[in-house]
Amino acid sequence: MARLLDMGLSAVLLAGLYATMAYGLGLIYGVLRVVNLAHGGVLMAGAYLGFCLHERFGIDPYLSLPIVAAAGFALGVVLYQGLVRRIPRGAAGGPASLLLLFGVWLVLRNLAYLVFTGNDRTIRTAYVASSVAIGGSHVSVNRLIVLGISAVIAVALHVLLRRTQIGRAIRAVAQNADSCTLAGIDVHRVYALSFGLGTALSGVAGVLLATIFSFNPSSGSSELLKSFVVVVLGGLGSISGVALAALLVATAEVFAILILPAYLTTAVGFLLLVLVLVVRPGGLFGHRVLS
Amino acid sequence: MAMTHRLHSSSCRVLLSLAVISAAAAACKPKATAPSERAEILIGATLPLTGAEARIGGFFKEGYELAFDEVNQQGGLEVGGKQRPVKLQLDDDTTNQATAVSLADKLINSDKVDFLLGTYSTALVEAQTTVAEQNKVPYVNGGGAASEIYQRGYRYIFGALSPVELLGTTLMTWIDEQQRAGKLPRPSKIALLWENTSHGKDFRKGVSAYAGKRAGGYEIAVDESFELGGKDFGALLGKVKAAGADVFLVDAHLPDYLTMHRQYLDAGLCHKVVSYGARGSEQAAIDALGADHVTYVLSGVWWNAQLADTIPLARKFVEAFKAKYGGRTPEWFQALGYEAARALFTAIRQAGSTDREAVRAKLAALRIDSLLPGGTLAFSAAHGGAAQNAFVVQQNLPDGSAPIIFPRDVAKVAGVAPSPRCTP
Amino acid sequence: MTAIRPRAAWRRVDVGCGAACAILALLPPVLELSAYAHNLMTLTFLMIAGALAWNWMGGFVGQVSFGHAAMFGVGGFVAGRLMLSLHLPAPICWLGGAIVAGIFALGAHPMLRLRGPYFSIATIGIGEASRLVFTYWDRFTGGASGLSLPLDGDLKYQLYWWALAFAALVAASSVVIRRSSLGLKLLAIKADADAAADVGISATFYQDLIFVLSGAVVGLSGGLYASYFSYIEPGDMFGFDRSISFVLMAVIGGVGTSLGPILGAVVFVLVRTYLLASYPQLYLGLYGLLLIVIILFEPLGLTGLARRVLRRIRPAPGGAPP
Repeated sequence: MARLLDMGLSAVLLAGLYATMAYGLGLIYGVLRVVNLAHGGVLMAGAYLGFCLHERFGIDPYLSLPIVAAAGFALGVVLYQGLVRRIPRGAAGGPASLLLLFGVWLVLRNLAYLVFTGNDRTIRTAYVASSVAIGGSHVSVNRLIVLGISAVIAVALHVLLRRTQIGRAIRAVAQNADSCTLAGIDVHRVYALSFGLGTALSGVAGVLLATIFSFNPSSGSSELLKSFVVVVLGGLGSISGVALAALLVATAEVFAILILPAYLTTAVGFLLLVLVLVVRPGGLFGHRVLS
Repeated sequence: MAMTHRLHSSSCRVLLSLAVISAAAAACKPKATAPSERAEILIGATLPLTGAEARIGGFFKEGYELAFDEVNQQGGLEVGGKQRPVKLQLDDDTTNQATAVSLADKLINSDKVDFLLGTYSTALVEAQTTVAEQNKVPYVNGGGAASEIYQRGYRYIFGALSPVELLGTTLMTWIDEQQRAGKLPRPSKIALLWENTSHGKDFRKGVSAYAGKRAGGYEIAVDESFELGGKDFGALLGKVKAAGADVFLVDAHLPDYLTMHRQYLDAGLCHKVVSYGARGSEQAAIDALGADHVTYVLSGVWWNAQLADTIPLARKFVEAFKAKYGGRTPEWFQALGYEAARALFTAIRQAGSTDREAVRAKLAALRIDSLLPGGTLAFSAAHGGAAQNAFVVQQNLPDGSAPIIFPRDVAKVAGVAPSPRCTP
Repeated sequence: MTAIRPRAAWRRVDVGCGAACAILALLPPVLELSAYAHNLMTLTFLMIAGALAWNWMGGFVGQVSFGHAAMFGVGGFVAGRLMLSLHLPAPICWLGGAIVAGIFALGAHPMLRLRGPYFSIATIGIGEASRLVFTYWDRFTGGASGLSLPLDGDLKYQLYWWALAFAALVAASSVVIRRSSLGLKLLAIKADADAAADVGISATFYQDLIFVLSGAVVGLSGGLYASYFSYIEPGDMFGFDRSISFVLMAVIGGVGTSLGPILGAVVFVLVRTYLLASYPQLYLGLYGLLLIVIILFEPLGLTGLARRVLRRIRPAPGGAPP
C-alpha cells in the first residue's frame, strides 16, 4: 500500500515534468501546425543558459526563469521571422518545416559543444538533495517545485488565451488564419508571438529539468519524443489536454513496473501514443482549438 | 513528354558524372607513402575528442601522448637495426560507432598505418575491432571494457582493460569478506541494477556468477536493467525499496549515477553496502550531490593514483604525468591509454620489426612490468586477449578522501561496512 | 503525363542508366580503388537503395515516415541471426531479412489511415518502441551488445557489386513505378486520398503495398549493412538517428523524385565523411546549415537545383517538368 502511494506520488511528480516539457511543443503546434523539431535543442539551450547564470552570477535557477523565458522568446521570434515564416503552410510544408527545425537543432547542438564542450553539467543548488516527507514517502523538493511551476504555467496560459486580447488573437489565428487576415489581424505577428512563446516555455522547461537531471549538448531527443507523446495524446492544441495527458503517460509508465521489466516501461509511452493515434487520432481530449 | 524524357536522360547523365567524379575523388587521394618508405613508425588511433565522451577521449589522448613523448625522447624504437621515431595519427570519431569504423578503415587502407591503438567506450571498440581484425592489424586498446569484445575469437585484438565482469567479481569478493567477518547478514539480499549495455551486462554477469557460487550466501532480490540516460528511476527504486535488500549494486555511467543517486537520496533509501560500479568518487558527483551524500559509496576502478605508493611503475607514471600536465593527478583513463601504448611499443621493440604478424605474436606472448594493479600486464590468451588485472576498490570517506580498501596488498585502510549512514 | 512516352525515349534512358551501372561495376579493378574508397562506395550504394525505398513511401505516397529504422533493424538482425544460428549463405540471409521486414511493415496497417504529421508521429512511436523492445530481446538481437557476425573479407569485397546491383534494381523499380499506372495511383492518393477513393483507388491497399515493399527493401539494405560492418547493435540499427538519416537523404536529394534519393545518399555518405574528417568540431553545425539552406531555397533539394540549372542551359519549348 505504501508502495502504491509512493508510486502515485512519483507519477504525479513525473507528470509535472512531462507537462512542463510539452507545453512549448503543444502551443506551437496548436497555433502554427508546425512540429517544432528544435524543441529539444531549445530545451538544452535553456538548460545551459540557466547553468551559466547560476555559475557566473550565482542566480538561483528558479529566479532566473524570467530571464530564460525572455531569451527563449527572443530566440523563437528570430527563428520564426528568419526561417519558419518562409515555409509554405499546410501539407506542402510538412517535411520541410520538420527538417528546417531539425537543422536548427543541429546548429544549436554544435554551438553548445563549441562553447561548453560535451561534459555533463547540472545545476546544483543548496537544496538539491533535500526532500519533504509526505505521508510516509519522501518527495524531492526540486520535483515539487517543478510540479508547482507546471501548474502555474497551465493557469497562466489559460488566462492568457482566454482573457487577453492577444490570447483571443492567437486562438482566432489557430482556428482559421485566412479569416483572421480578412479581419485585420496581423497573422504573421501572431505566429511570431506564438512561436516565441512556445520556445520561451521550452527554455523554461530546460532550466527546470537541469535542476533535476544532468545534461549535455546532445540532450533533448528523449525529451522531444516524450513531449510528442504527451502533446499528441492530449489532442494537439489543447493546454489542459497536455496536462491531463502528461498525468496519463506518467501514471502508465510508473505503474507499468508492476507488470513489465523496468527497461520496457519507457516503451509504454510510445505504445500508448500509437494506440491512441490509431483509435482516436484527435487525441484523447479531442481536437479542440486552444483551450 | 519530350521534356521528361530529356530530363530522365539528363538525370542519368548527372548521375553518371556524379558517380565518376565521386569515385575519382574517393580514389585519387594523395597516395600515402608505403610503410617501408617512411622514416617513422606510424600508429593510428581514433578517440572521441568531441561528442558525448569528449572529456574522457581527451584524457586518453593525454595518456597516449605521454607514452609517445617518452619513447621519442629516447630516440624512438629500435627496429631492423635502426632507431625510428614513433608518430601518432589521431582522428576524432566524435563518439559515433559508424565514424569509428570508417576512420579505422581510412587509417588502415588510406593512411597505411602500421598498427592501431584503441578508442574509448565499449561500443566503439567493439565495432572498430572488426575492421582491425579483418585487415589483420594489431589493435591494442585501453578503452573497451566488455568481455564480449574478446570472446569472438579475434587474434589481433588486445585489451589492457580488464573486463567489467571482473569488477563485479571484485566487489563481490570484498562484500564476501565482510560477510565472513560477520559485518553483513547471511544470506545477504542484493538489489542489482545495470544499464542495458555491454558494460552493464558484463557487470551483472560478474555479480550473479559470484553470488551463484556462494550457495546460501546471497540472494539477488532485484535484477533489472535500465535505459542508459534514463530520466526517472522512481519506479525502479520503489521496487528496490520494496525488496528490502542489504546490498545495492548498480552499474551506471556518470549521468545516470547522478540522477539515480539523487532519487535514491530523495526516496530516503539506505543500504549497508552501496556501489555504482566504476562511479563513486568523481568530483562531479561531489559537486552535484554534496560530499556528505556520497559517503561510504564503493567504486571499483582499473587504476588509481594511490597505487603510486606501492607500484614503482605507477609512481614513475604519476610523476611524469604531473611534470607534463602541470601538476594534475592522472586518473585511470590516462593510465590505461599510456599503458596500452607502452605495451604496443614493447612488442614492437621485442619483435625488432614492424611486421604485423611478428608484433602480433609478441603481443600475444607479452608479459611486462606494469603500473596496473598486480604489477604485471599480460594479454590473457584464455580470455581472448584481455588483461585480467584486478580492480582496486575505493570507498568515499567522510573526510573527503577516497582511499583504496581492496585488494589488501594495495589497500590504505580497511573499508567500512555496514554503512554508518543507515542506522538499522 | 509520365506514362505516355515514345518507346525510343525509354530505350535511350535505359541505355544511359545501364552504362552508368556498367562503369560503376568496372570501377574497382580499372581505377585500382583503395579498400577505403571501395568500402565507402559500397556503403553509398546501400544507402541509395534505402533512401529510394523510403522515398516510395515518403515521396510517392506522401506519407513521411520517421520510423523506417524499425524495418532496417529487423532486416539486419534477422539476416544476422540466420547467418549466426543457421549458417546459411549470405544472400539467403539477406532475403530472409527482407521478407521478415516486409511482414513487419504489414503490421503498420492500422496507422496507414492517418494523414500528414499524425502518421509521422505514429512512426516515431513505432520506431522508438521497436528500439526499446529489440534492445531488450536479448536472445534475438544479443541485446545491447548486439551481434558479431563471422568476418568474411571476400564477402565484404564482393559486397560492392551486390550493393551496386541492389541499388540499380531499386532505382530501376523507382523509375518504373513512377512511370507506370501504379505511380499515377500513388500520386492521386498523395494529392487527395478521399478523392482517389471516390474514383476507385483504394488508399489502404496501395499504401499497404508500398509500405511493405518499402519495408522489405529497407530490410534488405539492413541485411547488407550487417554483412558490411560484421557487427550490429540495436541502438544503432533501430535508433532515431537512423530513421532521420533516411528522411535526410531523400529530402536533401529531392523528395518525390527518382534521382533525389540517389543524390541525397551520395551527399549524405560522402559529404558527411568529408566533413567529419576535416571539421569534426563543426560537422554538426555545417550539416544543420546545409539542411536549412536547402529547405529554404530549394524544397526539392539537389534535384530541384539540378533542374533549375538544366532549364537554364536548355530552355524547354513546353511547360516545366512535373
